[in-house]
Amino acid sequence: MPLLRMRDATFANGDAAAGPVALTLAAGERVALCYSSPREAGIVALLAAGIVKASSGSVLIDEYDPRVQSVHCKRIAAFVPHEPFPLDEAEFARYVEYRAALWNLDLATARADAERLRARLEGMHEALAYPLIGALLAKPRLVVLDRPQPVYAPQILAAVEDCAVLSTHTDAAAARAFE
Amino acid sequence: MTPRAAAGVLRARLYAQRRVAYYACAAALLVGLLAPAGPAGPVFFGSLLGIILALAQSPGLHPHLDRCEQSAPLFGRELARAKALVPCVAAALATTVYVLAQAFRGGTDVPFVFVVAVAAVVTSTLVALSATIRRGFARALYVLLACATSAAAFAIAITGRSLLGELGFCAVVAFLALRQYGETLARYDPI
Repeated sequence: MPLLRMRDATFANGDAAAGPVALTLAAGERVALCYSSPREAGIVALLAAGIVKASSGSVLIDEYDPRVQSVHCKRIAAFVPHEPFPLDEAEFARYVEYRAALWNLDLATARADAERLRARLEGMHEALAYPLIGALLAKPRLVVLDRPQPVYAPQILAAVEDCAVLSTHTDAAAARAFE
Repeated sequence: MTPRAAAGVLRARLYAQRRVAYYACAAALLVGLLAPAGPAGPVFFGSLLGIILALAQSPGLHPHLDRCEQSAPLFGRELARAKALVPCVAAALATTVYVLAQAFRGGTDVPFVFVVAVAAVVTSTLVALSATIRRGFARALYVLLACATSAAAFAIAITGRSLLGELGFCAVVAFLALRQYGETLARYDPI
């Protein structure tokens, strides 16, 4: 059973438009999509994570439809935004607590996981590592990366372990680094 | 939604907006010490602060919190309740500071003024929250509606001399405003 299925999924609202996107992603697989505009790449990532609802076509995350079962979808898919987080060391501890509260995770386990992931992402800029660590705390099965930095591809792919990964890019060389 | 998630959102957003909350309390203290005594000051100044604090929840001002909340496994109405707590707590705190400043100057009927003001301020803040996810005319309309709510609550409590009437009016308007905010947030596409 595919973990993510997008059938001609499109988004259109005013001047923001993306798609149609058609793909099937099974557990543990990786797919990197390349788009000409950063905006379209961002919208497709939000569609795949179930944060934005498709205007036409469909998106199914482990057979759940984000339009009606968004909470189930968000327990399966984790979204890593493109924008870096302006957090320092002290604020990172608060951020871990905040994520643990929102996902109702055990705080001690979340802190331990955050430290383990930090060690694994050694060398990656904190502002880019923190959102990825936050996304992985809830142990998602699908990780959606919005325009990740290709220079950190080895660390990112090592950190997500056996999760299915969908990444969007605006550059073919960057996309190849995540395939 | 677990109370823990609501407390998490409240803590994170109050921390991110701590300067706005401090400034609101400082302004309330200053105006409370200088303005004429009576319920008009805390009701209208508190509502103004509440509207400003509600507008501070607009998407884009704290993008890392917005993205976390949008990707968290919460229903729109749950997220609305958690986010609504933030400006309500900060505005109620500022109103409390205002009323205490008035009491320090020897103001009378402090408990009555406090209840009237907090009810009006929290209700207008909840109405103003719907402006945060709208643009242009609709946004301005919700801000005006929030001001009108505050004026109506004041009129019922002071001109109409009915505290229970004001509390009833505020309860109904606050319920509808929170429900409206939750439904809009559930349909909101963060693009």
